[in-house]
Amino acid sequence: MTLLPTDNGLWGGEPDSPLVAAVHLSIRDLVRRRWAQSGLGWDAFVAGPIDHLITKADLAAIDAAVLATGHRYAFSATISATERPEAYQGLASLEGGFAHPDAPSAPPDAQGRALCGVGDNVVQGSADIEGVARYVRSAAQVIALMEQGVPDGSIAVIDDSGGTLTAPILDRFAGLVCAGGTVRSHLGILAREHGIPCLMNAKLTGIADGDRIRLEASAPARTAESYLSGTDMPARIWKMA
Amino acid sequence: MMNLADLAKADPAKSGISYARLLETNQLIQACGDSTYWLCLTRTVQGSKLYPVSAYILLSYLNAFYRYPSLIRKVEAVMPAEAIADRARQMGVKAQNSSIGWALPCFYLLGREYLINLGLLRPQDAIEDVITVMGFWKRFQLSWHRNDGHLTNADYNQRAQILPHDSVQRFASELHTVTPGDVLSVAAQRFLATVSQYGFLVSAESRISLTNSGPYRLDADRQLLMRDFMDLGETSLPWLDDIAADMPFNNLTVAMEATGCHFHLVDDWGSFEATPEFTSDRLTGIGLYTSDTLSEGHVPVAMDSPETLAAMLHDLSDKAKSATDRLWLRMAGWSRDQLLDAGAISYYAICKEIAHIAGVFDPGDWLEIDPRAERFRPILSDEYSDGALGELVGSLTMPSQQTAPHGMMKWSDKPARVLTPLPLSVLLGAPFLPQMGPPLPGESHLPPKNDRYRTTRGVLSLAEYNAAARDFVPASCHPVENFLCDTSRAYPGCQT
Repeated sequence: MTLLPTDNGLWGGEPDSPLVAAVHLSIRDLVRRRWAQSGLGWDAFVAGPIDHLITKADLAAIDAAVLATGHRYAFSATISATERPEAYQGLASLEGGFAHPDAPSAPPDAQGRALCGVGDNVVQGSADIEGVARYVRSAAQVIALMEQGVPDGSIAVIDDSGGTLTAPILDRFAGLVCAGGTVRSHLGILAREHGIPCLMNAKLTGIADGDRIRLEASAPARTAESYLSGTDMPARIWKMA
Repeated sequence: MMNLADLAKADPAKSGISYARLLETNQLIQACGDSTYWLCLTRTVQGSKLYPVSAYILLSYLNAFYRYPSLIRKVEAVMPAEAIADRARQMGVKAQNSSIGWALPCFYLLGREYLINLGLLRPQDAIEDVITVMGFWKRFQLSWHRNDGHLTNADYNQRAQILPHDSVQRFASELHTVTPGDVLSVAAQRFLATVSQYGFLVSAESRISLTNSGPYRLDADRQLLMRDFMDLGETSLPWLDDIAADMPFNNLTVAMEATGCHFHLVDDWGSFEATPEFTSDRLTGIGLYTSDTLSEGHVPVAMDSPETLAAMLHDLSDKAKSATDRLWLRMAGWSRDQLLDAGAISYYAICKEIAHIAGVFDPGDWLEIDPRAERFRPILSDEYSDGALGELVGSLTMPSQQTAPHGMMKWSDKPARVLTPLPLSVLLGAPFLPQMGPPLPGESHLPPKNDRYRTTRGVLSLAEYNAAARDFVPASCHPVENFLCDTSRAYPGCQT
């Protein structure tokens, strides 16, 4: 078999992700074959022919080969699953509430607070906050809230740590809980600018749309040092009786 | 594209490659790798239901790899890096952090790293390109940071004192006092939040329309932070055509005085942190300015009185909010290919301002995807891209990123590195490809940019904008003014 100049590096292995490894092995195999077929030395091959001999159609064939194994891609942007339902896992995962396996939970305490999760606090506030949980996980939900208005006292429960999905309505929420990201994700930055209490990287369970929840916004803000060291600084989330 | 005849020229001496040049370039590559790891680990984890973020980032890296070297040579044929930075120092445009300070070298180098892992490159291929990009970056950074004497914010313990003393004095003297809860405080807070929200959307789910520099000590309890909001208008991002027609300024700079907190971190992505946390009650002074490559530095905006400034901030907030809603609806209707292009072009074109400053901006250079990058689109599924990008900048588990077992990288002690250095074996005759060649005619799934460019001299055509940029030298960049630096001014008797 033809070996690429970068084959058999002393220290390298394969990427951790099986999907990434499979795609990269396929591309490297493609390059080997095209190089061998070209009859050129590497220097001549990489100087131009490689741009014509490794084509978009070749790479589409690798995508097709992955799907032919029965693998279906997990989506991050909903448009991906919407446009290629045959290639992506369905959008059903957007339905219903979050149920993180590591989310702490406890029965209601004397104040009627049932622990149902933790998150990383963006800014330490002077007091905790309460409001009504509103799941926002799709553009269709955002459009509906643009048209109908966000009810006062709503706390957005979302899994999009970016700042674009909720851009038209973000400033209308009394609080934010995000099941991803860090306090320095775009959503965290915007929450700080808007002055909206926000818990990022939240592990949640048992919160339904319309539940009254309480965020421990008075907990210390999570620091860069704690992310580097892997030290948790949990702020709690309760469902109120 | 190289041809076989060009290969005959591929020897180190003819390419200007020496042991010293390689050592220097490798140090710059390592510094970029260390910075990338720290920034990516501590600053962000992104996910977006609207944008396929990881996919567009990988596409942007590839586009940067294939195009940046040629475009840098095109710019430097007109204006050297250090002169571009001299101008950038007096403006609030995308020619600072994170655009040049981190993105320009790192987007390019991460594209290179990715292609090495795909088997399409050897570490020594495109060696002249690597040296060109890193050399441009170093000279830009040394000039941009000349008043604090560092190469990056990371070198300066996460701060950027870019401005000379007289500029800091000017901004401090022009501040309008803000008292918590007063009309200006309310207007300022609303503006900062609204324009930040707009900026993230304009930049297709990235922070590259926002940046911060400083801080500057005003007294024991007060610090000045310069906050820039860029590419807000109908200028060089095609998806703002019509949407941002009402936005009267493309770039806005807020000079922000804070009392009772210390900005302990302003990083190479332009993010800031303060101890204690900066909150609205700590905002005690504000100024508002606009600038671009055609302005005499920062031009005050509605600074006549606190009342005029508050009214302007509210007006700009209204315009940004309206544009946000309309832009969001436009983007929500886009196809995945359009979202991918908008994100990739936002990232890739993060350093396009160098072409505006030099007066050589061409939408074909900056707003299209090169076919050599475009061919990878079919593999850029969300799941693959999330995994590949995560391994490339987070877990560092790509094969090329592994080092000898004794290795202990900065920040993690792993036997790994983010970016592969240039191999010194080229000095022994190891073959290499000098350059990847010029941009190939590109494409985009987005409508083409219209010929309207909002500038500080009004709306210009591209030809007018480029010509005006080439003709204009701001007063601060005339040789005498430019070289009367803070050290020179500190010793008036030594100037002649």
